[in-house]
Amino acid sequence: MEIFAALATVLTDPVLLGWVFLAAIVGIVVGAIPGLTASAAIAMLLPLTFYMDPLSALAFLYVIGKSGRYGGSIAAILFNTPGTAASAATQIDGYPLARKGMASKAMKVATVSSVIGDFIGEILLIAGIVWIASIALKLGPPELFAVYFAAFVVIGSVIGKSITRGLASAALGVLVNMIGLDPISSTERFTFGVFQLSNGISLVPLMIGVFVLGEVFAQIDARGKPSGMLNTASMDPDRNRLTWADYRPCMPHVIRSSFIGAFIGMLPGLGSAIAAFVAYGEGKRRASNPEGWGRGALEGIAAPEAANNAVSGPSMAPLLTLGIPGSTIGAILIGVFLIHGIQIGPTLFLTNGDLVYALFACGLIGIVMYGLIGYYGAAFVGRFITRIPTSVLYPMIFLTSFVAAYTSRGSLFDIYVMIGAGFLGWGMRKLDFNPAAFVISFVLAGGAEETFRQSLLLSDTGAAIFVTRPVALLFILLGFGALFMRARSLRRQSRATALRDT
Amino acid sequence: MAQTTPPAPMAVGYALILLGIGASAASLNISLDQYGRWGARVFPLACSLALVLLGLMELRSANAGSRSERMPQSPVAVLTLLCLSIGYVAVMAKFGYLISTAIAAPAALWIFGVRRRAGLLLAAILCPLVYHLVFFVGLGVFPPYGDWFDLLDLLQAD
Repeated sequence: MEIFAALATVLTDPVLLGWVFLAAIVGIVVGAIPGLTASAAIAMLLPLTFYMDPLSALAFLYVIGKSGRYGGSIAAILFNTPGTAASAATQIDGYPLARKGMASKAMKVATVSSVIGDFIGEILLIAGIVWIASIALKLGPPELFAVYFAAFVVIGSVIGKSITRGLASAALGVLVNMIGLDPISSTERFTFGVFQLSNGISLVPLMIGVFVLGEVFAQIDARGKPSGMLNTASMDPDRNRLTWADYRPCMPHVIRSSFIGAFIGMLPGLGSAIAAFVAYGEGKRRASNPEGWGRGALEGIAAPEAANNAVSGPSMAPLLTLGIPGSTIGAILIGVFLIHGIQIGPTLFLTNGDLVYALFACGLIGIVMYGLIGYYGAAFVGRFITRIPTSVLYPMIFLTSFVAAYTSRGSLFDIYVMIGAGFLGWGMRKLDFNPAAFVISFVLAGGAEETFRQSLLLSDTGAAIFVTRPVALLFILLGFGALFMRARSLRRQSRATALRDT
Repeated sequence: MAQTTPPAPMAVGYALILLGIGASAASLNISLDQYGRWGARVFPLACSLALVLLGLMELRSANAGSRSERMPQSPVAVLTLLCLSIGYVAVMAKFGYLISTAIAAPAALWIFGVRRRAGLLLAAILCPLVYHLVFFVGLGVFPPYGDWFDLLDLLQAD
C-alpha cells in the first residue's frame, strides 16, 4: 500500500519528475556510449547530488542506473560494440538483425523486454523487501560477518576471468579501506606519517578514479579502434514495425529471464552481465528454434535484455536491508545515503520508510520514461552518439572527473587519490583484475571488520563462533560453495577450449 | 563468454607476493590496543596474507603452463595522460583552478588527437569558464585557490 502513496507523492512533484526524466535520458545516452557505463556516469555526477535533497539525489542516480543498463543495448545493436558488459549478450542477436535492416525492430524488442524485466524486478523488490528486512533484523554480528564474508568471496570469485585476481582485487579493496584511523581504537593504520591519510581514503574520489578516470586511460590506450554505426535512417519502416505477433514468442523468454535476473540481482556482486548470459543460455536451451539464435532471433535479444534489467531492482535488496551493495551502482548509492545522513540497514524501513518507497516509485516511473524514450528515440540516440567525437568527449570527461573529485570534500588531496585510483583501475582492467570487486570490497570492509570484532567480543570460543552459529556457518559454506563451483566451471571451460584447440 | 587466459601470471604473482609481504609488515607495525589486543591488526593482516597466498597461486598457475604475456601495447599515451593529471593538480595548487584548467583542457584534447588551433584555444577559454560557473558559482563549492597566484583574486578585486 505504501507504494501507491509514494507514487502519488512522486507524480505530484514536478521537480522530482524532472530529475527522473533527466536521469532516464542521461542513463540511455551514457549507457549507449561504448566504454562509458552507468557506474561511471553515476560516480561522476555523485558530487552534484550532494546539493540536492536526498530523494531527488537517490532517484536521479537510481534511474540513471536503470536506464544505463538499457542504453547499453543501443550500442550493441547499432555499433556491434556493447555499451555495457551485460549488453554483449544482446549483441549476439541484435547486430545480425540490424545488419538485415531491422535495427529499429531489434531496439524496440530490447526496449520492451527491458521495461518488462525491470518492472518484474522492481515489483519483486517492493513485495519482498520488508520481509527480507525483518529477517535481517534478527541477524547478529556473527551472522552479518558471515554474510559479508560470503559477499567478499562471491564478488571476488564469480565476476571476471580469474578467481585469484578477483579475490586479490577484493583483498586490495579491504586493505585500502583500512588506511586511516581504526574506528574502534583510533590507532593509525597504513598512514606512513602522511597527515591526509589519517582521515582515510574517501569513497567518492576512489570511485571516480576507478570508474571514470580509469576508463579515460583505457580509452586513450585503445585509441583508433574502429566503430561503425549502421545507417538506421534508410531502413524500411514496414520491416521495422514491431507487432504483437512478432513479440508473442518472446514473452515466455522475457518472463523466465526476468526471474533469472531478479534472483541473480539479489546475490551481491553478480550483476547484470552474468544474468544476461545465464538468461541467454537458458533461453537458447529451451528455444523451439535454437539454430536461429545468434543469427538475429528476436528471442535472443529479449531474453538477455529482460534479465539484464531485472537485476536492477533486486540488487537494491541487500543494500537496503543489510547495507551490502549488490552492484557497483549500489556501492555508489551507499555514498549518497551516508552523505545525507541516512543509516542503511534493516532499520531503514522504520526510520526512512517513506523515502525508500518514494525511491521505488521513482524507479517505476523511471522505467516508463526510459521505455518511452527508448521505444521512440533509440535510433536518434544512436545517431547523436556517433556525432560526439571521442577525441572531444573523453578529454571533457577527464576534466570533469577532476572537478567532481575536488567537489566531494573540497580537497586537492582527493584529486591525487582519484588519479591513483584511476591508474590502478586502468591497470586492473589491463591485467584482468576486477575493479568492481575492488570498490565493492572497499565499501564492505568497514562493516565487515566491525561485525567481526563485535563477534569476537561476544564469543567465549574466539573465531569458533562463526561455525557454531548455524546461520553464520550456512553463509560461510555458501561463500566456499560459490568459490568451488566457479573454480569447477572455469576448469571445465579451459578444458573445453584446450580440446577445441587440439 | 569466451574463456581467455589472464595476462602475465608470473609478474602478477610476484607483484601480489611483494605487496602482500609489504602490507603484512605494515600491518604488524599497527599498534596494539590499550589491553594489548590485536584488534586493529587482524583484518589488515588477514588481507595481506591473503594477497601473499593469492600471489603464490598465480605463480603456480604460471608454472602450470597457462602463460600469456599480454601487457600494455602502447603505454606512452597513458603515461602522458598520467603526467598531465599530476601536473594539472600541481599547477592547480600553485595557480588556482582557472589557470590550471586553461592549460590542462587543450593539453588533454591534444593527447586525444585534436590538432585544430581554434578548438584548442576555445577549450582553453570555455572549459575553465564553464566548470567554474557550474561548480564554484552554481553549486557554491569553495574553489581551490593558488598558493602563488590566482586569477580569481584579480577578477574578484575588480
